[in-house]
Amino acid sequence: MNRRTVIVGLGLAALTVHLFFDLVGDWGRVSGGVSNLGVFVRESLWPPNWSVLKAQSYPVCEARFEFTCSVAWLGVIETLKIAFVATMLGFVVALPISVMAAGNLSPTYLAVPSRILLAGMRSLPSIIWAVLFVIIFSIGTLAGIFAMTFYTVGYLGKLQFESMEGVKNAPLESAKAMGMSRMETAWLVAIPESANQLLSHVLFMFEYNVRHGTVIGLVGAGGVGLYINTYLKLGQYDKVVALLIVVFLVVLVIDFISMALRSAVNEEGDVERPTWSSIFLPASISSVQHPTPMGATQGLPESE
Amino acid sequence: MNDTVRTGLEMSEPLVHLHDVAVGYDQPLIEEVDVEIQAGDVIAVLGPSGIGKTTLLRTIAGLVKPLSGHVELGVAPRGGVGYIPQRLGLVSNLSVRSNVEMGVRVSLSKWYPPFLGVPKDHQGYAQQAMEDLGIAHLADHPVRILSGGQQRRVATAKTVAQRPKLVLADEFLGELDDDNVDVVMRTVRHAIESQNSAMVMVEHHEELATQVANRIWRIKDHRLVEELTR
Repeated sequence: MNRRTVIVGLGLAALTVHLFFDLVGDWGRVSGGVSNLGVFVRESLWPPNWSVLKAQSYPVCEARFEFTCSVAWLGVIETLKIAFVATMLGFVVALPISVMAAGNLSPTYLAVPSRILLAGMRSLPSIIWAVLFVIIFSIGTLAGIFAMTFYTVGYLGKLQFESMEGVKNAPLESAKAMGMSRMETAWLVAIPESANQLLSHVLFMFEYNVRHGTVIGLVGAGGVGLYINTYLKLGQYDKVVALLIVVFLVVLVIDFISMALRSAVNEEGDVERPTWSSIFLPASISSVQHPTPMGATQGLPESE
Repeated sequence: MNDTVRTGLEMSEPLVHLHDVAVGYDQPLIEEVDVEIQAGDVIAVLGPSGIGKTTLLRTIAGLVKPLSGHVELGVAPRGGVGYIPQRLGLVSNLSVRSNVEMGVRVSLSKWYPPFLGVPKDHQGYAQQAMEDLGIAHLADHPVRILSGGQQRRVATAKTVAQRPKLVLADEFLGELDDDNVDVVMRTVRHAIESQNSAMVMVEHHEELATQVANRIWRIKDHRLVEELTR
């Protein structure tokens, strides 16, 4: 590390510390905060109230498994449905916009407005979209679907056009020299070349939308968040904690499935197939030897 | 281009005419290029690395604008030029067949939906090209798992299936063993003769280039010098 890097690093560190103390201002109000939190956790949060896993008393449960009438099940399933529909709709809408936004596929007069559109959709967080759509559609899942879809288009569109811009030049140049149209180049070259990343982004977005299902539910846009919001208003924080633990476990499972799917579509081994231990344990503990995948230079037999 | 010697049959309209072209990006790499490419020409572009051979090829392909002068293309803008870049330009996630059929696709209307497969009556061109280059048995494999040599044959098959009037190939014989060089060149030559088209190839191996080419362009002191016409 040279002297200039050290000076710049120290300067940035000093600026950060200065700004931090400047922003906090009065440290007196922090005193006693940790003990207050302890009291709150002991008296209101812990232990979690697992009655959220039991069937609700009303309406009467007629399902074979009573668990499927519980708040946790109903909320999580609704959140998963909203997240799935919003991710799929968002993907379908974002794909053509991201093709238009990619600088290597579209002219500037198309790319710039498309990027502005995506930035606009992304700059409003999903909870603000949810507020707007709750006003339009009233409380419920429809508002949730629209809110998540709008945010998904903005966020996923950005990830997608960046992936497409990362496609190697040679296939694009070959297509251009051959006289392929922009639509052909996008559909037959850019999208297949970035397919693994596009799929990875969709899976990430689904997971993100499930996590955000708890947030947008707070403003009445359906899903498990709606139940969390109700319990918060009633001061039943132990039930809130129980639902948050359920959401955390669901997100972990989705994360595992998502990694497994990504590794399945990629034969070059840049995404390793996960194990349960690799999700729950630090990498240094869980690291295992993976067999070397078939490399690009290995090739196939000359005849079969 | 003062040093250039152009002899032979020049009665027909050239496929490409470079009018006093300066080739390069910020600074000219090759200047005063004034040459024609006729049907039947197999031109090898020779010269040391970094002298502008690839840039010349990219200029003819319409990928780089000339710094001065202009390139007059006498072939159809769609499907008229087949370009094999040094890095081959294949779509690694698609199968060999899909890549080769991309060459066939440009003979269809540009409004033909890209999400539809190539029509049945056009599929034969791709199949024939794959068979000629000995990769038919790999048709359904994704390109990314093939060896370098196999990928070069796929890139060649794509261009052969395209049936362009002008083939531009940038060191496309690299990584091929002698037998495969013979197969590839025989197939390309046959395609060029049957289509009455032309080829410009950038090649490092001078001996190989002089064997297969009937014209040699050597880049020297920022000028294009024609050395051999046979």
